[in-house]
Amino acid sequence: MNELFWGMSGMTWALMGAAFAAIGGGIGSAIGITTISNTASGIVTEDSEKFGRVLPLAAMPGTQGIYGLITAILVLQFFEILLQTTAPNIPGELGFKIFLSCLPVAVLCLVTAIYQGMTAVGAAGMVARRSEDSGKALIFPALVETYAVFALIATILMLFSLRGIYMG
Amino acid sequence: MFYRKSVTEPIRYGYAVGRVRVLEGRMLSGGTYERLLDAPSFTEQRRVLSDSPYGRFLEDVETVEDIERGLDRALDELYGFLVTANLPLPVIRFFRVRYDYANLEARLKAELLGAPVDDLLVGLGTIPVEVMRGPAAQLPKFVRDIYMAFADEGSEVSEERITTTVDRALFADLSESAKDSKSRFLAGLAALMVDLANLKALLRARTKNWRAPDAAVLLLEGGNVSGAELMKLYSSSVPEIAEALAKRGPLKGVSAERIVDLGNYDVLADDLVVRYLKRARMVAAGPEPVIGYVMARQAEVMMLRMLLIGRLSGVPTEVLRRRLRERYE
Repeated sequence: MNELFWGMSGMTWALMGAAFAAIGGGIGSAIGITTISNTASGIVTEDSEKFGRVLPLAAMPGTQGIYGLITAILVLQFFEILLQTTAPNIPGELGFKIFLSCLPVAVLCLVTAIYQGMTAVGAAGMVARRSEDSGKALIFPALVETYAVFALIATILMLFSLRGIYMG
Repeated sequence: MFYRKSVTEPIRYGYAVGRVRVLEGRMLSGGTYERLLDAPSFTEQRRVLSDSPYGRFLEDVETVEDIERGLDRALDELYGFLVTANLPLPVIRFFRVRYDYANLEARLKAELLGAPVDDLLVGLGTIPVEVMRGPAAQLPKFVRDIYMAFADEGSEVSEERITTTVDRALFADLSESAKDSKSRFLAGLAALMVDLANLKALLRARTKNWRAPDAAVLLLEGGNVSGAELMKLYSSSVPEIAEALAKRGPLKGVSAERIVDLGNYDVLADDLVVRYLKRARMVAAGPEPVIGYVMARQAEVMMLRMLLIGRLSGVPTEVLRRRLRERYE
């Protein structure tokens, strides 16, 4: 039952998937937030009243890091890894499938957070010129967010399915 | 490479771009220029500018020299922004080095004519004014070499040769700084400036019926159109050259009548530079918006100088209006 898959145990594959999701989302968010925060800092340096209007833009790429964390927690929770005192019984094949299920979040959250940061820079330029456009400015980075949400939904659905099939 | 640049440039230039986005909104509007043109006196112009970023530089200003000093301080603050915005040194050099060459040219000409140099030097370059007026041995190499070359020539030096030699060195330096900055936008700007200077030299030389070899000497390296390419047109008449230039190169699309009007060529050249700079507004992050803004502010100071000194000197409004350049908006 605890056989290896391509030389690695199911537990190792599952943890690697969870780790990739958390790392990918985290790296993407860090880069995305750094990108927009630099521009937001420049705007606030010249006009401190715009702080409240650029803050949502600066926070936006942070959601991908949260999606990565959610994915990691779901893997640990669904497949009974979290807070266990003994190694859970995850077949190698299931572990590999868990790993594959984590890839949408791991890859898409990494990429979309970076691009969202870049889009937010353009949107911050709109806010800097016309404060009243701050609502419209939020929409463009939010469109990029859509694909991170789709990735999270895909990952959650796959993890749910695997849990149903293998864990009963 | 492209992907790495698209990630690193918004981070590297992000802070400067953020500041520029706000500062762009504080640039003088078309309405302000109209009010400056319509203002009956310099005092009224100063009142119009009192709420602008130039207001504090023009307080208690009365004379042409005061205006020059006030606007130089505004430019100095602008170049200070480049440093605080943490822009790469070649970019800062691109903007400031022209003043070093202008100071060198002023010193060489003053020494040639036996005039005092002190009032002619501007403290906006990379070399402090004290060094610029000090012993030649203490000058940085890039200006010392030119200075010493003229010193060795003695009586054969002429004002025209000083201008030509210094201009050639300036444009070579600008092209080199643009290349060092690794900004394609800045390199394109340097090439456009060389092209516009070459076309002006070509048209001037042809209008004065200079011999082709004398005209060829004036043409600079580093433009989009080579000197050899331009010299192929030299056997044609000025209107024919203008017709040909209106169909290609940086003057493409400009009417031939406007090209041959050499008295207003500088206005045309500045308009073409502004049109190039406007591309920067389409870039969300990177060096382009910062370069575009600094160039636009330089042009703004130049227009203000013309409007304020023109009004103080009694230049008619219509003449001033004709000298106004296209704005960066």
